[in-house]
Amino acid sequence: MTGLMSHRTVHPRTSSLLATGLATAVALALAGCGEPQSAQQNDPDKPIVIGTSLPLTGDFSQPGTQARRGYEIWVEHVNANGGLLDRQIELKVTDDASNQDTVVADYTRLITQDKVDLLLGTFSSLLNYPASAVAEKNRMLYVEPAGGATRMFERGFHYLIYAQPATAPKQADVMVEWIKSLPADQRPKTAAYPTQDDPFAKPVIDTMRAGLEALGVRTVYSTVYPPDTTNFQTIASAIAARKPDLVAQGAVFEDGVGLIRSLQQLNYSPKILFQTSAPSNANQYSDAVGVANTEGVFYTVSWNEKAKTPLNQEFVAAYAKKYNGETPAEDAADAFAAGQVLQAAVEAVGRIDQKALADWLHANPVQTILGELTWDATGAPQSYFLLAQWQGGQVEIVAPKERATTTTVINPKPGWQ
Amino acid sequence: MTELVQALALGVLIGGVYALLASGLTLIFGVLHVVNVAHGAFLVLCAMFTWWLWRETGVDPVLASVVTTPLMFGFGLVVYRLLIVRVAGAAPAMSVLLTFGLALTIEGVLNVTAGNKFRSATPGYFSESFRIGGISLPKPQVYGFLAAVAVLGLLYYVLTRTWTGRAIRATAQNPTGAALVGVGATATAGLAFAIGTATTGVGGSIMSVLYPFFPASHYDWISRLLGIIVLGGMGSLPGALVGALVLGLGETLTATYGSLRWSTLVFYVVILAVLLVRKQGLFGTRLREDVAL
Repeated sequence: MTGLMSHRTVHPRTSSLLATGLATAVALALAGCGEPQSAQQNDPDKPIVIGTSLPLTGDFSQPGTQARRGYEIWVEHVNANGGLLDRQIELKVTDDASNQDTVVADYTRLITQDKVDLLLGTFSSLLNYPASAVAEKNRMLYVEPAGGATRMFERGFHYLIYAQPATAPKQADVMVEWIKSLPADQRPKTAAYPTQDDPFAKPVIDTMRAGLEALGVRTVYSTVYPPDTTNFQTIASAIAARKPDLVAQGAVFEDGVGLIRSLQQLNYSPKILFQTSAPSNANQYSDAVGVANTEGVFYTVSWNEKAKTPLNQEFVAAYAKKYNGETPAEDAADAFAAGQVLQAAVEAVGRIDQKALADWLHANPVQTILGELTWDATGAPQSYFLLAQWQGGQVEIVAPKERATTTTVINPKPGWQ
Repeated sequence: MTELVQALALGVLIGGVYALLASGLTLIFGVLHVVNVAHGAFLVLCAMFTWWLWRETGVDPVLASVVTTPLMFGFGLVVYRLLIVRVAGAAPAMSVLLTFGLALTIEGVLNVTAGNKFRSATPGYFSESFRIGGISLPKPQVYGFLAAVAVLGLLYYVLTRTWTGRAIRATAQNPTGAALVGVGATATAGLAFAIGTATTGVGGSIMSVLYPFFPASHYDWISRLLGIIVLGGMGSLPGALVGALVLGLGETLTATYGSLRWSTLVFYVVILAVLLVRKQGLFGTRLREDVAL
């Protein structure tokens, strides 16, 4: 969920609640009929068909395309290794144009007309919210790669599984744990929490603030700013005047860049700087704030290309081979992991029985390129994100220890260059 | 006290830049009665070009406006001749549709050619400030403000002191009357559109330094700029300046003494309040057809 466009555009605007309600109503009306069991299901000569609808055009086209690449690489990997239950698998992808109504129609058609054997989820909470309702109604397992908003898991769905390490509000738990691990006299004493009014940024900062206050870190400043904020000088002045040891910003992208620039203009550099997703945007971030100024900045992420998780190196290599040597985006990795989750369940259960698959996933951990994933009864994952830090113009994982790519942690952050 | 002076100074600097960004929009509406929804896209287009120029040659982005302004002038002339002239005199809804389509086209072309990524020019001074007493004034914001003052001053001079400017104002006030005394309405309107577009040359150059942008940034900008000129009075240049200062000061004062969360709301509440009392905006003139209604 930390790809650039995912955060830039995945915001469910105020009207989306209404739209979601309508879409869900449509979904329930449309999806009420037909058992998903198809006649071809157990024919060993026929491939297992896996249906998905992705935002290949429209607002989320950038992350949607990455998710498709992740799914396709997973399919090729499975087929090259003997398939699933000794059958080849075939991916059926439709384009929902980033539209809630279309995604509902797409999944309804995949289930009731195309009678696909298995489903994989779409991208973003906005689209997964109504789409997962269609799957639930039809009692089809729904593993989704990107959609961690809290409300996804407040409906008590049984067939929904979220294939990332943690839901949105828990993304920064690993940062709080890291601060807790410091000797008491080295912990920050004061903190400032500016955050964008964004459904993915604000919950992270709110949870983090509560965690740090429990550790005795005094809050000296906090503010919530609207998404269209372009001038950050006043926020920076307020922060600089209070001189906090730690600044934790709920930053989508340009607000993260804007605040750093304004802090530079005031020549105020906090000892610890955390931003939610702005720093995950690789060279777009380092170009905008200057490579030297990225040094020591923390953020959290679901996946890392250097991680030694099962199949991760194979995934990175296959992606580079297929797409001109590019490094996979996090969104592609999350989609590949969703495929791994589905595969693990089918192989463990030994047949395609939607209820048995869902039951199995609620009870068992799955090893993925994102690490080990486990789920509670609502399908919300119960693991940790990775704590990443910019070091020497590169991104390193510094916590949790067993997943770290380096033992060095830069603390305190050097001043601005 | 320092806090107040700091907020006021920043508000004026920010407002000055907003005024420049809105000036072309209000000029074009004043003369052509075209609501140019593509104005934000023109700004982003120029910002992208400036960023590219800065990255390739290292030229200062604000100084690059010497190159981008004539380019945008020419671009405006072409757009007018090819597209805008076809909806001249038609209902305003037509021009909104046409220019919205143009904005989408520019966004799409930038997406394909430049990529769907955030950009930002970072010349050496972008992270520095002037310090006067306890007040700090970010250098890029100050340079942007000075460029805005220069352009607005020039625009004001051209409109009030030159024959071209008189012709433009005459066409804005009474196209038939202007035609009667020999002012060609189409040529003048084309010129006004081109001048309005040329202001995005300097505006886009400043934007490339001050505000990270990507192809779809134009939506945020056009809504802000339309707010400014509605408040000031559609078509009025001094109105755009005042509207922009209200927005700039509103932003910094609400952020300092309240929460930034309310700044957008405060601005639109001011617009509503003004429109309730003066439906033509602060400096707008009521047209004969408005009075008749």
